Amino acid sequence: MSETSVTVKPKKKAFRIEGPTRLLLIILIVAVLFFSVVNGDKGFLKYRSVASMGVQLAEIGILALAMMVTILVGGINLSINATANLGVVLAGYFLFRIYPPVTSPGMTPIFTQINAPANPSTISLIIGLLIPLLVGLVTGVINGLLVGYIKIPPILATLATMSLFTGLSAGLTKGRTITGFPTQYEVVAGKTILGIPLPFILFTVLTILVAILLRNTTHGFKMQMIGTNETASEFSGINNKAVIMRTYMLSGVLASIAGIIIMSRTMSAAYEYGMTTYVLLTILITVLAGIQAGFGNVFNLYIAMLILQVLSTGFQMLLQGVRGSTFFKDFSWGVLMLIIFIINYFTRKHKSSNQE
Amino acid sequence: MLKKFTRTNEFLILIIIIVLSTVVGLINPKFFSISTLFDLIRASNVYIILAFALLPVVILGGIDISFIAIAAMSAYATHMFLIARGYTGGILLYFVIACIIGGLAGLLNGLIITKFRLPVFDVSLATQTMWYGFTLFFIGATSNFSIPKGLVGYYANYLAKVTDPVTGDTGLHVSIIFVAVIGVLMHLMLKYTMLGRNIYAIGGNKDVAIRTGINHNKVTIVVFVIMGILSAFAGVLQSAFSRNFNPTLFIGQNLDVLAAVIIGGAALKGGRGTVIGTVLGVLLTQIINRSLVLTQIPAEWQKFFIGLVLIIFTALPALRQKRAAKLGLAVNNEVSGS
Repeated sequence: MSETSVTVKPKKKAFRIEGPTRLLLIILIVAVLFFSVVNGDKGFLKYRSVASMGVQLAEIGILALAMMVTILVGGINLSINATANLGVVLAGYFLFRIYPPVTSPGMTPIFTQINAPANPSTISLIIGLLIPLLVGLVTGVINGLLVGYIKIPPILATLATMSLFTGLSAGLTKGRTITGFPTQYEVVAGKTILGIPLPFILFTVLTILVAILLRNTTHGFKMQMIGTNETASEFSGINNKAVIMRTYMLSGVLASIAGIIIMSRTMSAAYEYGMTTYVLLTILITVLAGIQAGFGNVFNLYIAMLILQVLSTGFQMLLQGVRGSTFFKDFSWGVLMLIIFIINYFTRKHKSSNQE
Repeated sequence: MLKKFTRTNEFLILIIIIVLSTVVGLINPKFFSISTLFDLIRASNVYIILAFALLPVVILGGIDISFIAIAAMSAYATHMFLIARGYTGGILLYFVIACIIGGLAGLLNGLIITKFRLPVFDVSLATQTMWYGFTLFFIGATSNFSIPKGLVGYYANYLAKVTDPVTGDTGLHVSIIFVAVIGVLMHLMLKYTMLGRNIYAIGGNKDVAIRTGINHNKVTIVVFVIMGILSAFAGVLQSAFSRNFNPTLFIGQNLDVLAAVIIGGAALKGGRGTVIGTVLGVLLTQIINRSLVLTQIPAEWQKFFIGLVLIIFTALPALRQKRAAKLGLAVNNEVSGS
């Protein structure tokens, strides 16, 4: 560990594995072992299935990071998925403006068909990637204003902005899917470095960055203060509003990065991609990782994400051909969560009775 | 008396509803018609019952999101069970069986929450995922359209009928009786029984409530059983309206119901919330959702405007509360309206 954290007191517990983390690790190992035995003949641990898991979990994992930072300040951000979609829809709109499809004179070209040339200019490609990030910032500012300054309960404010952002994407695209993105964008989801898919590397790097933010910066410390006790942090001189604003901006940017990965994987942008499942899934991951207002370990989130993906892929392979097999994973997630809650309850109880 | 009423949250929503209706009515005069009103009531009935299911939980200080999964699971399981046995009767048996299943599912939530001292939200997230997965994998994954004879005409079982030249026959559906009965019972329960007062007491301050001798666990479990029963009831009703039984009924609508309850004046932190406010909250959200169709806004832009309207209507009470806090006035903190 680098010794850069001068302002923060050296922490003794920096590398001790805590109870909940240990439990999650054990579950992950057991799940991997179980599925590699029962799915051995189907190639559960083969490179191809592991790599595809890496791509799938990255986008949801990054969305879960976006969800997590807002939960840490005592909020929630239901608009992350809408932000992700809006970002790439607007990027698509820009690319459509500079590369409109060829139409017969007198006809207005339909927006949703980008006619990107084989070699588009580098600038346009870069702007196409910057637009989603900018959208992430702006949506974060809107959420931050509503939650931090006007003080609408976060769950209501972001429910409203979810509808607002989704509505904007739907209105612009008239409910259609944008296709024809420049093929250069395939790199984001398709490239591998040393055999590791780029999205997975992105997810890992972002997890580490968020961990550093929370552990070694004053902003991270303030975030946790606000989450623990908003009134106390206000009276100790923290500008709650500004910190909440910055947190929602961070959440928006993280969400838009996930949006770029989704765009790159599907080579399209749709106003309601993942709308019914992704948001709930990210909340599920944060709860599974034990993230609460003021408290939370990013690495728990990382492991929880791995567990969900292993269960999802594992059961899908195992139950191949059974009617409705894709839904068994939902059932298994729910049961697993209850089991983890109950085990955590008993370890807590055991700990407190030992201390007495 | 009147002054007291004008300060309540219910009054604010009532004003908002009147203003919104007037604006929509000016844009499209068709909005002011009996058939629009009856349609609005029929569409709202199910959501009012769902909101009633959630209300005691919110007053208790919890956020539950599993009630819609319980509604879907109970209604679908009941239907598949009865269809497999060649049932041809009416809706009554549906209600009875579904409410028993729903009550048991609610009981499970309540037991886990109290026994292992877990947050309501976390447990409900787990059980919602579990119930949807359970229904889809173990019971069935497709909508079932074979409705028993006794249920066929139920969606058009009207108390009063009107014939509209444009939209055809519509009427005041009998389900308004259920809403009225459940609403009155819920109001009486919250306001005049020990159970109801205990729910407000725990929501107001849990530690104090426990020290004064309230059996916190018992109250919590009862609240969740009520939630399960009412959710299942709403699930059957909605399925009967739409004439098919769907394993993913209501999916993704839990937060909309929660928003309606909160807009109706219930506090997310617990201790506050009324039956009348909840009804008004649901009506307001339904009017927002349905009235845009009557304006000239194109369909693809409607979600955008719903978002805008929601922001405005959630910002109003928030700003009012902020101003009151600044002036040092207590916002109407009464536990039970009127």
